[in-house]
Amino acid sequence: MAVETDSAPIPSADPAADVTSAGAAAHGSTTAAEHGSGGLPQFQFEHWGGQIAYLLILFVILYVLMAKVFAPRMRRVLDERAATIADAITSAKALQAEADAQADAAKRALVEARAAAQRTAVEAGAKAAAAAQAQKAALEAELSAKQAEAEGRIRVARDAAMQQLTVVATDAAEAMLEKLTGAKAPRAAVAAAVKSQG
Amino acid sequence: MAANDPIHQFQIEKLVDFGVVNLPLFGRTELAFTNSHLAMTIAFAAVVVFMSLVTAKMQVVPGRLQTVGETLFGMIDNLASSIIGHEGRKFFPFVFTLFMFILAMNVLGLLLTFTVTSQLAITAVLGLMTIGLVIAIGFLRHGLGFFKLFVPSGVPIVLLPVIVLIEFVSFLLRPVTLALRLFGNMLGGHVALKVFAGFVVALGAMAANGGLGYFGIPGAALSLSMVVALTALECLVAFLQAFVFAVLTCIYLNDVVNLGHGH
Repeated sequence: MAVETDSAPIPSADPAADVTSAGAAAHGSTTAAEHGSGGLPQFQFEHWGGQIAYLLILFVILYVLMAKVFAPRMRRVLDERAATIADAITSAKALQAEADAQADAAKRALVEARAAAQRTAVEAGAKAAAAAQAQKAALEAELSAKQAEAEGRIRVARDAAMQQLTVVATDAAEAMLEKLTGAKAPRAAVAAAVKSQG
Repeated sequence: MAANDPIHQFQIEKLVDFGVVNLPLFGRTELAFTNSHLAMTIAFAAVVVFMSLVTAKMQVVPGRLQTVGETLFGMIDNLASSIIGHEGRKFFPFVFTLFMFILAMNVLGLLLTFTVTSQLAITAVLGLMTIGLVIAIGFLRHGLGFFKLFVPSGVPIVLLPVIVLIEFVSFLLRPVTLALRLFGNMLGGHVALKVFAGFVVALGAMAANGGLGYFGIPGAALSLSMVVALTALECLVAFLQAFVFAVLTCIYLNDVVNLGHGH
């Protein structure tokens, strides 16, 4: 806090001039190493001018160097880096899009292939079923023909047998009648009687 | 005594003497290349060498030194553009020069025997330079409209005189606070360091005499640990004060660059 109370008279130039002129008068050839007024060395105003001038010179040089050399160099690299990153991102996005497109194409191809395979399978199934159907029908036709033929043969055989049976029955009946009655029965009547029995 | 005097470190010592002249504003002025000039020169050279090394072989993928430089650069660049807006780039070199120069002088103050930024003459000039730029830009851009800075919008007419007075005084105090903040921090820190370091020597000398003086050893150890802790703190303060100076410079510049639509 002592600093601020000390610094209060600084902004006005006149007291400073008074202090320094008084100091100059009092001390004459005081060396800088001694403390002029016993206060802070910062308030030995005879040293202000030289420091301020030197500071301003150095600051101006540094400012020019910064503004004309260092900052543009720095800025260029930073901009270049930003551009590089932006480029990389753009190309990465393009690659991504391309990869997406390829993935889509592959997916589409897969779907088509699957559909084709299914179609082929269905067709093959249908063809096989039709062939089997035809074969089966042919076989059935053949079998039923054979069956019909066999049935025909059986019927003929049975009819013949039945014919034979009637004749045999009539003969047997005639013989039995002759043996029982001793009279010869007319053949036609016996046949009719046999037939009526079944 | 002079070696242990905590104020002695701020004494300007003439290294090369060029004699004495009388200047109109400063009165009797000693022209000399002093330890202050030497420290400023070293700080200046350090900044120039650092920036040259950083920007000499700039690569898109940065090396270590370039990363350090770009961090400082980016920090102030972000500061300027976030506070001032799109015109921040125009004022960036000024803010960056201030920042780097103050940072170099602060840090060198911890390494050398002399701290330039503990000289009120230096901090006052830095503060006045900043506020001078603010005033110059204010008048160049807005003419007399610059005075709108002291008239905040939306204030009742009754309160206006008081507000304008307060705003005006606070504007006048800006360079003073800029200068005193940096000066006070550097001065206080270095005085505290010197005082505690002086305790170490004094208590150590007491212990060397033996007898009751051995009680000085814990005190000396404590003081030494304080010096270590304070040195760490001063490293932070050295950076922080440079940064604060840059931030306030940006804020003050923003006031006049975006006058009227910033508030």
